[in-house]
Amino acid sequence: MKKYIITALVLLAAFAWISCKKENPVDEDGLLITSRAECYVSNFELLGADFQTVRTKNAVIDTTACTIKVEVFFGTDLKNLWPQFSLVTDAKLDPKVTGKVDFSDLANPKEYAVVSGNRQVRKTYKIFITVKP
Amino acid sequence: MGACKEKDYAIPEAKGVLQNDVIKRSLGPNLVGQKIEFAYAMALPADKGKIVSAQVEASIAGAPTTFLEHRSFYTNSSGVDVGIDIGSPSVNKDNLTTVDFTKDTMAATLRYNYVAPEEARGKAVKFTFTAKSSSGETATYSMGPYNISKMDMKLDLRAVDNAACYISIEDMAVYTAAQAATMPGKIDLVYIYRTPTNYLHSIVSPGSDPQYLPGVTLPAGVNKLTKLVRAWALRDQQLARLQFGVFIDDVDFEKKGFEDAADLALNLKAEAGLWVETADGKYRAYVFINSVTNNTKTAVISIKRYTMK
Repeated sequence: MKKYIITALVLLAAFAWISCKKENPVDEDGLLITSRAECYVSNFELLGADFQTVRTKNAVIDTTACTIKVEVFFGTDLKNLWPQFSLVTDAKLDPKVTGKVDFSDLANPKEYAVVSGNRQVRKTYKIFITVKP
Repeated sequence: MGACKEKDYAIPEAKGVLQNDVIKRSLGPNLVGQKIEFAYAMALPADKGKIVSAQVEASIAGAPTTFLEHRSFYTNSSGVDVGIDIGSPSVNKDNLTTVDFTKDTMAATLRYNYVAPEEARGKAVKFTFTAKSSSGETATYSMGPYNISKMDMKLDLRAVDNAACYISIEDMAVYTAAQAATMPGKIDLVYIYRTPTNYLHSIVSPGSDPQYLPGVTLPAGVNKLTKLVRAWALRDQQLARLQFGVFIDDVDFEKKGFEDAADLALNLKAEAGLWVETADGKYRAYVFINSVTNNTKTAVISIKRYTMK
């Protein structure tokens, strides 16, 4: 009889331990913090006011130097562009893209940081825009 | 068991009186100078006499081109609408449009085309359809109110590079350089075609950076900085006359924001569009590109324009 009681107690303790386990961790945006440490931009797009691309060709993304080089059409309104980043799984972008962005200051390229899934790695990408002559 | 028994079907009895019905055929915003089309159906049993007249009363008298069809249409086996005369052509008198029947007719569907007059701009119009039979019966049907938009529309303006290329939103017209020189204040946009593949068909404000006006010698005084916002896949049915059920109405112009406007739009394709606000903010417009032709360096554009102040 005593043996059964001990077994029962052990099982109960096990359940109690599970229920006390910390919930899955989330960051300040309510996004799941995972174990992934990868941190890079996989694709980059720039849209104009009509939501059509303004790129003349694919953006060149250097994940080592952390640069994105993109050539846009002649006459593109650089003040109102909508950047779109594709990131590696679980990563997020800082600052967030909330709407049109002014890219007209070509001498000072815009910077966006990618934060890895475990929120431990942070890489800052510079976006260099050139206008096709 | 009796409750479950099915009733025998009987052909419904006609009401035995003159009856009528109306549908509105045209869709979208109602514009001044454009038609609002209805189909007015009326019928009575053969033994109750014949239809002697049909009339429509509009709360605001239509433009002189308003008419009630004097033919009743049927669709033949080839899908073509064939008209059968039932009376004399309609007569407009004040707010009334009347057709007197000359054929012994017990049923007819007449189309009514109301052409919105200038007085109706920004107002609502109501219609009362009335049919009279030889036995003295009348049937009436009310339709509306329908709002007549404040905006104007101009279709199929042909802009030609280095010729009729100066676009006036105020006049909703395309002018040559010589004409533009006589009215520089009215010129809001310039149509340009250049061969580099990233330029092609372009619409540029005359006040834009000269690098975007290559080889263009603007007439003296043509220098307005018009606001432009590109749009894509916004194919207003009245401008494009394509299958898309999209309409731009007054409210769209009122709510459109021009904070992120540019002053040029290069490399425009057919079916693209441009939201335009004139430099003085008086007019807002939507310019739709119906078609572009490279070898003739032309673009066919259609404009809807709204007066802001």
